[in-house]
Amino acid sequence: MRITRRTKAMAFFIVLGICLVALAVALNVSWIIFHWRQVVPLVLGIILFGLLITGMVINTIFLVREIRRNEQQDSFLNAITHELKTPIASIRLYLETLTSRPLDEAQRREFYQVMLEDTDRLLGSVEQVLRASQVRQGSGRQNWQEVDFASMVREALELARLRQHLSTEMLRFGTEPANGITVLGNEEELRSAVLNLFDNAIKYSGEKKSIVVDILAPNIDTVSLRVIDRGMGIEAKELKRIFKRFYRAPNSVNGQVKGTGLGLFIVRSIARRHGGDAYAESQGQGMGSTFTMRLPRIYRA
Amino acid sequence: MSRILIVEDEAHLAQGLRFNLEAEGHSVQTTERGEDALTRLVKNHESFDALVLDVMLPGKDGFTVARELRQAKNFIPLLMLTARGRPEDVLKGFESGADDYLPKPFNLAILIARVESLLRRKDWTRGTGNATERPQQDSDLQDNFRFGDKMVDFRNLQLRAGKEVIQLTVMETDLLRYLIKNAGHPVSRKAILQDVWNLHEETDTRAIDSFIVRLRKYIEPKPSKPRYLLTIRGLGYQFVANPKE
Repeated sequence: MRITRRTKAMAFFIVLGICLVALAVALNVSWIIFHWRQVVPLVLGIILFGLLITGMVINTIFLVREIRRNEQQDSFLNAITHELKTPIASIRLYLETLTSRPLDEAQRREFYQVMLEDTDRLLGSVEQVLRASQVRQGSGRQNWQEVDFASMVREALELARLRQHLSTEMLRFGTEPANGITVLGNEEELRSAVLNLFDNAIKYSGEKKSIVVDILAPNIDTVSLRVIDRGMGIEAKELKRIFKRFYRAPNSVNGQVKGTGLGLFIVRSIARRHGGDAYAESQGQGMGSTFTMRLPRIYRA
Repeated sequence: MSRILIVEDEAHLAQGLRFNLEAEGHSVQTTERGEDALTRLVKNHESFDALVLDVMLPGKDGFTVARELRQAKNFIPLLMLTARGRPEDVLKGFESGADDYLPKPFNLAILIARVESLLRRKDWTRGTGNATERPQQDSDLQDNFRFGDKMVDFRNLQLRAGKEVIQLTVMETDLLRYLIKNAGHPVSRKAILQDVWNLHEETDTRAIDSFIVRLRKYIEPKPSKPRYLLTIRGLGYQFVANPKE
């Protein structure tokens, strides 16, 4: 219901914008017809009307964009509410169960384990939101140090496997990464970017998880992390948009996957802050996708 | 014991809810997807006494599931469970067909109380609860029901036709009451077993047929050509109070 109301508002403003522009064009044309012999009013009129028309067009475009962004923030708010409340609901449920029912030792342990996983998830969501606002503000190059990229990625991969209960086959290195690749940056941020890439690939893989990770060093001053999944894929026109804050591709919103729309934004922001970039490739829906994060590398002889 | 279906994609919550409702003595099944719940309830006519439905599900969301259930004339008591607690969300939940709505995080005791209240209501409306628990005004079928030249006296378990009085058994009366209550709608054998006698699907559904034969003997002018108690092929039975000539 909310969405149709928004769509209606958007349609209204687009129509209004078009009408105003048409009116201005009509006035402009009649002005030209009436004044075509007088050079000064003619030139002045054309310039002024031109300004008016451009202003209106720009205004309409911005308005529509703003409405869209509002919509995305709304769905983000929904998603983050869900992400925060679900683990809390779960922890509370288990705590109440523990206090109100007689349980044997094994069950007790199992419930503690469940609650621990929930707190991890809660912490993850909170960190994600904080990270997203942090990378936007950009805290400069504080705490930058030399990071052993390959071992950092290896650690992140093992962590992701453990957290998501994945087998070695589901998330693995294509070729064992070479050692001695060093990147200058904030290790915590870089790890967060890498983990986000992994989480993303896992989330959008569906049932048939087969994710291959490669570290490539195409030349002396660049290192790339490439994550290939065989998941649901991305439509060509979405390839750039998915890195925008709060943006979620329509097939993931309507369909199967929950998310906040922050993950890839964080990846790209962190990559750019370190002088690199992140991009996605895909043959289309259902064809899987490849994400690459490129970073500058410091070379030591 | 009541059968409860939980639709919740968060494994931890589903597992915790299941544990607690089972501890309360119910038989609980869980599924992660709304589509699956719809298939089981609408297409396969699986019988449950209550449904606990999460809103944010992968695929069809809870609102859609509730709406489609109600459109398919499935009026299972439905408790909606969701992280969205704003008034407009609550209203949307009720609009889509929920009987009750509980925002997450919830209090366990309150959740159980709400589920129990839904189950109790179902007992009342189907008229098989204990007489003491049942409010008087609730059941219009409590005393008697007339059709054709017959009258069923539910209180005294009797069927009167003119001066003739036939004594019915409790089971026969319960079955007749159920059929009359659903007059005009076909009821499946499974639903009869479940709702009338609280038996589960392991029981041979053919057991009902002998009851139907007996009831026909009582109420039909020609038991071989039934007019009131019809067999609907592939579905079950249907009671018709005013058959066309």
